[in-house]
Amino acid sequence: MDISDQLETQKSKYETITVEKQIPLQYDLALLAAFDTNALDESRLKNDRDNYLKEYARDGTQLLINQIFKLPITSSEMGILAELPEQITVIPREKPLPKPKPPTRWERFAKAKGIQHRKKSKMVYDEATGEWVPRWGYKGTNDDGANDWLIPVPQTEDPFEDQFSKKREAKKERIAKNEARHKRNIEEAEAVLNQPKGADTRSLRKVELQRQIAISKTATASIGKFDKTLKGESKLKGVKRKFEPSIGDVRKEKELSLNILKKVVGKKGDIVNVRKAIAKRDQ
Amino acid sequence: MRPLTEDETKVFFEKLSKYIGRNIVHLIDRSDETYYFRLHQDKVYYMSEALMRQAISIGRDQLISLGVCFGKFTKSKKFKLHITALDYLAQYAKYKIWIKPNGENTFLYGNHILKAHLGRITDDTPEHQGVVIYSMSDIPLGFGVTARSTVETRKLQPTDIVAFHQADIGEYLREQNTLF
Repeated sequence: MDISDQLETQKSKYETITVEKQIPLQYDLALLAAFDTNALDESRLKNDRDNYLKEYARDGTQLLINQIFKLPITSSEMGILAELPEQITVIPREKPLPKPKPPTRWERFAKAKGIQHRKKSKMVYDEATGEWVPRWGYKGTNDDGANDWLIPVPQTEDPFEDQFSKKREAKKERIAKNEARHKRNIEEAEAVLNQPKGADTRSLRKVELQRQIAISKTATASIGKFDKTLKGESKLKGVKRKFEPSIGDVRKEKELSLNILKKVVGKKGDIVNVRKAIAKRDQ
Repeated sequence: MRPLTEDETKVFFEKLSKYIGRNIVHLIDRSDETYYFRLHQDKVYYMSEALMRQAISIGRDQLISLGVCFGKFTKSKKFKLHITALDYLAQYAKYKIWIKPNGENTFLYGNHILKAHLGRITDDTPEHQGVVIYSMSDIPLGFGVTARSTVETRKLQPTDIVAFHQADIGEYLREQNTLF
């Protein structure tokens, strides 16, 4: 019995799984995507568009599926799974690259003088105790001798002055000074970054001061709501109207409107109608 | 589209309470579904939450109207009720005026209500009170403001004005362009 005929008819029902393309397709299997760079057949596209596109899509899908079947396969409880490779397509960054931070005063100075930054280890060896201690911070070595058990009073100093507290004060001052410099650096960097056109620290500070004045104006019990504006007082610039979101807290909104309603009808909308009551009494 | 600010809500409620008084509560605090008042291009709309959530994805310029328009804020930030709010006003009205069939037409053309056309009036209506106008068959026709209190209307001449016209359902034809 020859079944080759039957096999042939059976086979012709299905389309072939081998597809030939002039330019091979590019795949990004992690996205289950195939990219076809071949040119479309113009004449078929014009005359038999739907069928042509359908065929075209089928061929592409067939190629993609062929690729997927080539992948390493693992079987699990869910069935046979193909392991997808890493994604090839590079998606562009959503936000622009951050602007480089403007150099601080020290960085500018160091560059001008050619001072190189050398990395120092955090721990240093304390010869007196024979232990490793942090260079700075908690239990650090830079306490400047304030924790010594004895400090010799220098000849030029007042002998009745407390040298311990003096050193502590000096350190506090140094810290405060450094903090002020840090703050100045931040302000200057902000002036450079946020005000692109000709803004210096001075004008930035001015804006900041105006903002603070505006804030202090509202420092009343009613958050400035019932304050009278002075004559000739300029309207505050840059204050945006702010509205509640359309879909917000349902209960809060209801409560707010009920409160307003209570204020509105509370005056007139008394439960007892006085006019009617008097009319009834006089009848 | 946005919620009304506190000031706007106050102005709006003050106007609305002239007609339905305390019954505004029934508009805010409904048992069936949450309903909201929303401002869109100076007009106040009353809508269900489902409708609002659908409309929220439509741009401000593209959105023409939604829900029931209750009225609009004028340029001087006063509130003007539109006839489209009549359904709710009629439902919760405190004071009502019924007009005779021969007065219906004149009222629907935008005229004030004369004593001659007055069919019935709520018992204790005060002067300058917002009232909803009905036909004798209880169909709401519009709303207005009383010129005299109920007691004083009895002494009036037939040609005297009883209630001032504010809005009538004839506006659906006369002011189609600006109403919604």
